This record gives sequence, structure tokens and C-alpha cells, in this order.
Amino acid sequence: MKFADRIQKVDRRIIYVILLLAVVLPLVFRLGFKTYTTTPVEDLYRHIDAAAGKDDLAILMDFTHDPGVLPELYPMDLAILRHCFERNIKVFTISFLPQGAAIIQMALSEVKEDYPNIEANVDYCNFGFKPWSTKLPIMLGMGDDIAEAVETNSEGLKLENLPIMQNMKNYDNIQVVVEISGSSMGQFWVIYARAKFGVDVAVGLTAVMAADVYPYLQSGQFVGSLGGLKGAAEYEQLVDIFAMNGLEFSKKKARNMAWVEAQYEELPELAQLYKYNKARIGMDAQAIVHVLIIFFIILGNIGYFLDRRAQKKSM
Amino acid sequence: MTETIGIWIAAFLTLCMFSFLYKDNPFYKFAEHLFVGVSMGYYIPYTYYNAFIPYAYNPLFLKKEYILIIPFIIGFLYWFRFSSKYSWVSRYPIAFGMGMVGMGVPMSMHATVLVQMRSMMLPLDNINIILIFIGTISILLYFFFSKAHEGVYGKFTSIGIWFMMVGFGASFGYTVMARISLLIGRIQFLLGDWLGLIK
Repeated sequence: MKFADRIQKVDRRIIYVILLLAVVLPLVFRLGFKTYTTTPVEDLYRHIDAAAGKDDLAILMDFTHDPGVLPELYPMDLAILRHCFERNIKVFTISFLPQGAAIIQMALSEVKEDYPNIEANVDYCNFGFKPWSTKLPIMLGMGDDIAEAVETNSEGLKLENLPIMQNMKNYDNIQVVVEISGSSMGQFWVIYARAKFGVDVAVGLTAVMAADVYPYLQSGQFVGSLGGLKGAAEYEQLVDIFAMNGLEFSKKKARNMAWVEAQYEELPELAQLYKYNKARIGMDAQAIVHVLIIFFIILGNIGYFLDRRAQKKSM
Repeated sequence: MTETIGIWIAAFLTLCMFSFLYKDNPFYKFAEHLFVGVSMGYYIPYTYYNAFIPYAYNPLFLKKEYILIIPFIIGFLYWFRFSSKYSWVSRYPIAFGMGMVGMGVPMSMHATVLVQMRSMMLPLDNINIILIFIGTISILLYFFFSKAHEGVYGKFTSIGIWFMMVGFGASFGYTVMARISLLIGRIQFLLGDWLGLIK
């Protein structure tokens, strides 16, 4: 068999094994590739950070995802919650999917164990699961009165009686709605909440959908976005170098890799926990696999063109 | 102990799923069917206790909010889907649902068409805006089929194809990243939570 034939007919299981090694080895022997931050992620970070220390502003996180996309979206959940807890930003969480409610609980308890001073219903409030059919009424109702529209938190307590709601009335008190989604791309929030009440909306998405949000970013309908594991890795980094070091966000500094590396050396122990670095560690493997896939595409094309040339000669 | 058992079960099921990469086999089939069953098993009681009870049963039967009888009946009509003779009845709640969709049309038009169009009408003062402008016009003309794509017009519309190809390439790149991310997530689970090789 000729070389061209051979590379055209490689057993797919061999490719799987090579791919597996390309994922496993960088995870075991960490490569520590640098993460460069991009504008959509920086904009979201800056937007959320602007609510730091304010009692009458909160961010609303809508968990529209299920366990199937956890590897991409869960690091985003943790990074945003950590940012909020670290910078004293009030957080509301809600899910219109049954599976999302369990993920909220998991994410909150995982981050909260590192922030013992953070209190439920004081610093954050989990609205819990609300059926999908109530999404529209709740979304529109929050424009008038959040407590009336949502009614109860995940424990069944009336929102109007909770300390966190003292200075919260409607979307005027929502700094940004962040939908972490495996499917709907924040469209509902843009169409109803933003169009009618002007609330700022941002999204954290699986990479499959990430390219689709750029028109909305360009038009300003999304104030920021996190695209897949890369977006999560960028946000993790911003939280580490700014929030964990008690610094205000600066785009210029975020893009200065020498400064970023210097910040990494001064990080507290908390920031070095594996769970808060998962996306960046995953990006090491991601980078290797991308190089491998590019190599396979080039190899496949070489085989294809050699094969075609041989066929032309034989005619 | 419970957590350890959970991790071992999850690891076993992950390996069952991965075994499909070699070839279809009973382990894969078992895990696949179990996944579907568990998903539905989780979804049905969860929805019953968190949707039906608080939003239908309690207000109607305990708080006596009888106005809810109307949506209750409309929703109940869906069950006629299971009758071959009366399945037409289920079209009424569907029609009601479509009416609700209609309510969103003006706002949807605003957000997805008008605002997006406005963002195309900016001064052509930087390279990004110029590229977006050319891309939008050339792609729109490419999908205008009342004129043959020939001559200068044809050449201009072919620029639209290039813009689309770049878009498809970006989507494909992101898709590769998404799929590999899922694999990385599972491998992180197997190496970290299960085998304890990474911490």
C-alpha cells in the first residue's frame, strides 16, 4: 500500500488512542500554557466587578444547563461565584431546568466552603428551580418587583422577608443577568428583559454556540460573553489576578503578560486550589489536541492530493 | 463512603460510554439506556413536586384560586394526544401556546432584527466595521436569487461565500473545542476524582 493510501485509511481507533494520550499527558504533567484574555470576557468581568460592595446591586445568574455540559460551563459557574464572594457582590441564582437547580446547589456549596463569612439570603440568594413555563412571567414580572415575581427562594422562604432584598426592587438593581447556558444563548433575556426594561445581559456558553453571539456583542445587546472552556479559563485568570489580589480591573494590566505572571506569584493558597484552576489546566490539553487535529487535517489533505495526483497519472 | 460508591459508578458508566469508540457493545447499550431512564426518572418527580404541586395543585385546591381552572383545563387537553379518536382536542392548547409565541414577535423583531440592523449602520471609520459592512451586504446579495450570479455582481456575491466560509470555519473550530472540552472533563474526572492522579 502506498503512503498516500495508508494515511487515508488509518484505523480511527489509532487516532482515538493518540487523542487520548494528547489529553491525558498534559493533564498529568502540567504544561502551564499562558491564557490570554479577550475583550468579551474582560467586559463581563468589568461589568460584574462594578457592583462590588454595593448593597443595592446584584447580579443574576441563570443556570440553563444540565450535567452534560458541566466540563465547559461549571468552571464558569465557580469563577463567577468566586468573583462575587471575593469582591462582596450580591448574587441571585435561578434555574428554569430541573437539572440546573442541582448544579446551583453544587456550585454554591463548593465555593461557599472557602468563604465561611458568606451567608445565604444575605450575600446571595438562590431562587432555585422555577418551571420553564414560568420563565416569561418571572422575567417580565421582575421588571416591576423581583420579590413578587419570584415569590420564594429555593428553601420556600418569601423573598420579601429576606435581608438581601432590602434594597432590591427590580431590574434597576440588577447589574447584569448572566445566563450560563448549554442551549438557549440568552435570547429570552435579550428579547424580553433587555428590550423591555433595558437590563444588561451577558452569556456563558458552550463553545459550539460561542461564534453565534458575536453579532450580539457587536450590537451591544450582550455586554460580555464567556465562550467554552477558553472563556472559563480567561475568567478564572481575571479573578485570580485582580479579585484575589484585591485589585481593580485594568484592561491594560490584564493584557500585560509580564504583569500577569508577576501576579500569579503572589496568589493566596485559595486561588491555587485545583477546582479554581480546572479550566486553565484543561486548556493545556486543549491546546495540544488542537495542534494534533491541525496536524491530522494537513496529513489527510496531503494524502488526498497525493492520491488525486496518482489517479490523474494513471488515467 | 456514599461519595466513593458514586464515583466508582460514574467511572464505570463513563468507561461503558467510551467503549463505543472501539465498537458497539452491550456495556455501551446498558449505559445508554440507563442514562435515558435515569434522566426521565429524575425529571418526572422533580417536575411534579416543583412545578405541578406549587403552581397548580396548591393554588387551586388549597388556596382556592379558582381562576386557575382555566389554564388547568387548557393544560389537561394535552392528554388527548394519547387518544387516536380525540387527538384533535390537543391542538387547542398548542394553538394557545402559539398565541403566546406571537406575543413575543414585536420584542423579538426589535432585539434580533432592528437593533442588529442599527449596528450595521455605523460610520465606516475602522477596518472591522468596513469588513462587517462588506460581509453583510455580500452575503445578503448571495441569497438574492432573482438575479443571476454573473459578472461583477457574481464576483461580489462570491465574496459573500468567503465570508460564510470563514464563519463556518470559526464555528467548526469552536465545535472541535467544545467536543474536546467534554472529553477533557471526563478525563479530569477519571484521573482526578476516580484515580486521584491529578489534584
